[in-house]
Amino acid sequence: MDRSDTFDIEFTLNGEAVAATVPARRLLIHFLRDDLDLTGPKIGCDTGHCGACTVLYNGRTIKSCMMLAVQADGATIETVEALAADGEMTPVQQAFHEHHALQCGYCTSGMVMSATYLLEKNPSPSPEEIREGLRGNLCRCTGYVNIVEAVAAAAGKETSA
Amino acid sequence: MTAPTRVETPRWTGQNYPRKEDRRLLTGQGRYVDDRGMIRQGYAHFVRSPYAHARIVSIDTSKLENMTGVYCTLVGEEVKEMTDPLFQIAPPPGGNMVEYLMAVDKVRYQGEPVAVVLAETRELARDAADLVEVKYEPLPPVTDAIAAQEPDAPILHDEVGTNVSWQGTYEYGDIDWALSEADHVVKIDKLHFHRFSSTPIECFGVVVNWDRGTDTIEVISNNQMPMFGAMMIAPSLRIGIDRFEFVSQDIGGGFGIKINLYKQTGVLALLSRKAGRPVKWVETRTEHHLDGGHGNERWFLDIEVPVMADGTILGVKARAIDDAGAYLHYEPLGAVIWSQVLPGCYKMRHFRIDYSQSLTNKCPTVPNRGYSRMQHLWMLERIVDVVAHELGFDPVEIRKRNYVQPEDYPYETPNGCVYDSGNLPLSLDKALELVDYPKWRERQKEAEGTTKRIGIGIGSTLDSGTNNFGQSRIINRELPFSGNGEAAICKLDLYGEVSVALGTTPQGQGHETTAAQVVADILGITPEEVTVIPGFDQARNSYVGFSGTYASQFAVTGINAVIGAANKLKAEMVELAALVLGASEEEIELAEGHARVIGDPERAIPFIGLANMVYTNNAELPTEVAERISLNCRHVYVPPFDPPDPDRKYGNLTLTYASQIHVAVVEVDTETGKVEVLDYAAVDDCGTRINPQIVEGQVHGAAAHGIAAALREEMRYDEDGQLLNANFLYYHAPSAADMPHIKTDWVESPSPFTGTGAKGMGEGGGAPLHAICSAIQDALGTDVPIVADSFNPPERVYRLLHGEGLGAGRGVEVVAKGGS
Amino acid sequence: MILAPVEYCRPDTVDEAVEALNSSPDARALAGGQSLINVLKMRAAAVDLLVDISRLEELKGIVRHDDGTLEIGAGVTYAELAESDLLGGDPRAIAEVAADTVDPQVRHRGTIGGNVCHADPINNFPPLMVALGATMHVVGPDGAARDIPAEEFFTGFFTTAVEDGELLKSITVPALADGTAVGYVDLEIGEAAARAVAVVRTEDDQIAEAKLVIGCLPVPTRRPEVEAALVGTAVTEAAVAEATAAAADGVEPLSDADATAEYRKAVIPVVAKRAVLAAAKGGHRG
Ligand code: FES
Ligand code: FES
Repeated sequence: MDRSDTFDIEFTLNGEAVAATVPARRLLIHFLRDDLDLTGPKIGCDTGHCGACTVLYNGRTIKSCMMLAVQADGATIETVEALAADGEMTPVQQAFHEHHALQCGYCTSGMVMSATYLLEKNPSPSPEEIREGLRGNLCRCTGYVNIVEAVAAAAGKETSA
Repeated sequence: MTAPTRVETPRWTGQNYPRKEDRRLLTGQGRYVDDRGMIRQGYAHFVRSPYAHARIVSIDTSKLENMTGVYCTLVGEEVKEMTDPLFQIAPPPGGNMVEYLMAVDKVRYQGEPVAVVLAETRELARDAADLVEVKYEPLPPVTDAIAAQEPDAPILHDEVGTNVSWQGTYEYGDIDWALSEADHVVKIDKLHFHRFSSTPIECFGVVVNWDRGTDTIEVISNNQMPMFGAMMIAPSLRIGIDRFEFVSQDIGGGFGIKINLYKQTGVLALLSRKAGRPVKWVETRTEHHLDGGHGNERWFLDIEVPVMADGTILGVKARAIDDAGAYLHYEPLGAVIWSQVLPGCYKMRHFRIDYSQSLTNKCPTVPNRGYSRMQHLWMLERIVDVVAHELGFDPVEIRKRNYVQPEDYPYETPNGCVYDSGNLPLSLDKALELVDYPKWRERQKEAEGTTKRIGIGIGSTLDSGTNNFGQSRIINRELPFSGNGEAAICKLDLYGEVSVALGTTPQGQGHETTAAQVVADILGITPEEVTVIPGFDQARNSYVGFSGTYASQFAVTGINAVIGAANKLKAEMVELAALVLGASEEEIELAEGHARVIGDPERAIPFIGLANMVYTNNAELPTEVAERISLNCRHVYVPPFDPPDPDRKYGNLTLTYASQIHVAVVEVDTETGKVEVLDYAAVDDCGTRINPQIVEGQVHGAAAHGIAAALREEMRYDEDGQLLNANFLYYHAPSAADMPHIKTDWVESPSPFTGTGAKGMGEGGGAPLHAICSAIQDALGTDVPIVADSFNPPERVYRLLHGEGLGAGRGVEVVAKGGS
Repeated sequence: MILAPVEYCRPDTVDEAVEALNSSPDARALAGGQSLINVLKMRAAAVDLLVDISRLEELKGIVRHDDGTLEIGAGVTYAELAESDLLGGDPRAIAEVAADTVDPQVRHRGTIGGNVCHADPINNFPPLMVALGATMHVVGPDGAARDIPAEEFFTGFFTTAVEDGELLKSITVPALADGTAVGYVDLEIGEAAARAVAVVRTEDDQIAEAKLVIGCLPVPTRRPEVEAALVGTAVTEAAVAEATAAAADGVEPLSDADATAEYRKAVIPVVAKRAVLAAAKGGHRG
């Protein structure tokens, strides 16, 4: 059990093996964005409230500003860049496009990750369940109306409330 | 919804064309400022004042001098030597303010920058900033705009000599006559519109390089009105505007706040020059809340409202005290901008508003979605509701009676503004229908006597779009501003590609899409075939002094600039086609990527052929044509304005008026004061809609901002001037789970003044603030004090229920006149 | 936000973790990090070593003992609690409260141990643990172990009975007696502003036994007088309101940007009443 202020880590990022040396204090979001130039995940707050930095960590959504990069060691991480990797947008992305569920797009990477995870866990959520499932992602542009509609549509359902 | 398919006569304008910008944003390929950088850049970190008001005794950066990786520092004193004070919009006394790009001698709000550090990494810059030692001598802070005007209040700016930065009286009609002739006078002690911010999810960011070789300054930033920024800082930096190249691509929301990103840009430019390398700076959320800029807080005092027995409201007399915070950023323009909507939606003709603005030890205010109008409109809506409640009028009927009627348009307001078009009664009916008004009135009755009371409220507002900057002369007659404008460039490129460059610097409003839709219609192609170059680049020369996305004007200024440029391009293409096809210009149509002779589709030339004639084959053209036609067409749209009359404070201040009629249904938990929104409807009328889906998105967004501001969000300072909610831990921006579904409908009253019939929109008039206050009042009834604050968290409502309001007694008094 | 320089280690066992925590006075255990990372970002505490306990299998289990007692490892996340079959039954309040904690991302990382050890007055588990009569199992250097009743665990604003160099290993929660249910009610103003947890056993529409804990205070606080007054009370709103009227007597809530102490005192009896009624009616969260 070594203690140190720098670590060598290895993990899987969007399907590819990554090895890097990171300072212990570096947040995962800064590591992804600054060191790996993976700028899909965004930074919108200081306190883990906005969800713009949401990524999948071992298959579950987490806020990458609330974790250290060194904690990625051995994990599997997926960011928004993994979603349309073959060039084809996923049903969630497509639904966001068709339902105008994004404006400035700054919350969108995180929102799409949360929405994708939500539908994986609950393939036919009610509007309330969609709203609860996206509780960890703030959007200041859309008022969420079209986001809820888009997620419902991606789930193969239309919604009226 | 799927993309519309090609039809015989394509009409892209007016369709829900899915946005062109979406794909990159959905796949994480957007380019926001923090996603960009420059080679050799250093990272900047600001050192900020922990005090609201203090003298700077000393700043010691010596610990950083030999630190490896620290490039340099910059403190206020150095900035003072290298620069001139910022240009002030205000006349004296406010205009006497000496404001440098960074604090010198004194700090005037918590979080004000006093020094900046540049280092090799973000981490190092942050750590090094902790080693800068600043000694302060705290001074008593002024946090209350009313107290700031007291004779013994501590003065923020000695050279101003007072905390009143601007003062003026807006008087129209004869309010004294109206008050003496009215059947009733309703008097309201005090109303307070609270301080909040739309808090875009992306905070400020700047990457700047003062290039030594060319002495030019490249600025990648998310400034939403870069040319205003350049206009402010160029003289301070003692350089010409032409030294700048402002650039941006994607911007993570702005809502007006990002107009405030200029002082930092100036300081960082100096830092770059000093360090001889590019500088990158990205604000943290906490810094954004402390320093980014807030919406205006405003007090309304001694309100008197003359009302006739039939419910006709004649006008308003009031004192307004605006709280500008510590400096005048864009202010005091707000001191006139509210008067664009002087009578709101109503036919009131008699006004006297004594308007003054205080400087306080709080973050400077800046335009925030609904800038300066929503404060005033909120007061008017409160007045209409209070009048209805106190005198026993139905809140729907009193509005319909006093609204500007459909047949009144164009309607000239008492101060010379011209309301272009609208149908307010119809909009209100639609909104009431959306929520099923009779059902809720029923439910309200059923809930009587329980601890869950129901209230229904209406907010009627106007979104005045496309400023006449001449109104700035009502504030300061020396200012050389009037009119407005926007530029666009439409170009046919070498291989027949159509591209458009905008000056508008959008932050999510879908300009790439709407511009493509109108150009597609003009040039007979599809929106896919139109490349709208994302973002802003000063080097494209597609801008004017007023460029930017603010003041709800893209649908007018931006789109008309695009239409003008596309029409110029079309004229050139038609002329070339006529020449080469041997037809008259009238016989040529543009369709399906060709210029062709109408009725004779065999005689056609593809766009690439036209481009070839000009770009690479011009010896075949007559010299006169070759010299004149470039297929690169710039157009500046200038809206039809005259300068207003500053003496009478009179003139047409805005080109278009979109209306928003919102209805809120709330439930008030009388045991806790908590308010829950049970139903919500918004009906907008913004004239002809170029892309209804995008318009609706703006309606949702503006509604959400207002609902959240009414119930959850306040930038709250304590008596020491400490901001109590300087991040999202304490500032409760709502998630999807906190927001109601928003039902929408629309009325389409085309504007006669804009060519397209479209009106500017997007800011909304803060209608939810009015609707929710009105609904709370409706739930509480008249046994308790009036709803006198625009912010109603549970405790405030609880206190109202227990008799504690803002003014004396219930905060309202009705004087019956003439025996009625 | 940039953290101050810090060292990190990831022990493989609880013993190693305790050893690491004892290797320097400013060492802190890093579990899910959903509170601690914020503390570090704000540079609000001096920490020189982060001991990452988030992967320790020894802290991960949820076990139902034969007597119905539930043992929950300190490293169990909210999501794991919410999804656990073992919590489907009694006391399901644990699963319900876990399922409602903050948001999905936080639930995927944050742990029950972190929640109680951080002891933020707004945290949702401390009053629940007190109300359920939980016991905290703490380990220290050289194999030392202490059992601390939840009621004694929370000692102040952001402080607990866990000493420097100690680690919370697990929490045991006794089974509820027959006819007993939990009511959990908070008033949210952006964050929880007032909270009450009631554990109530009813007999023939009367309250036979009651425990009432008020949250959102510096320390979760039991109200023995109110509990006594509740016994024998009919399950009606009026009767319960009367018994809980004194729920805020003597407590000292905090004032902040969301609400004053005065207001919080005024609404504590309201949430107390609602929690008791919810419990008496078979358990409910609100
Ligand atoms: S940046 Fe991670 S939650 Fe806001
Ligand atoms: S689209 Fe701008 S924050 Fe969500």
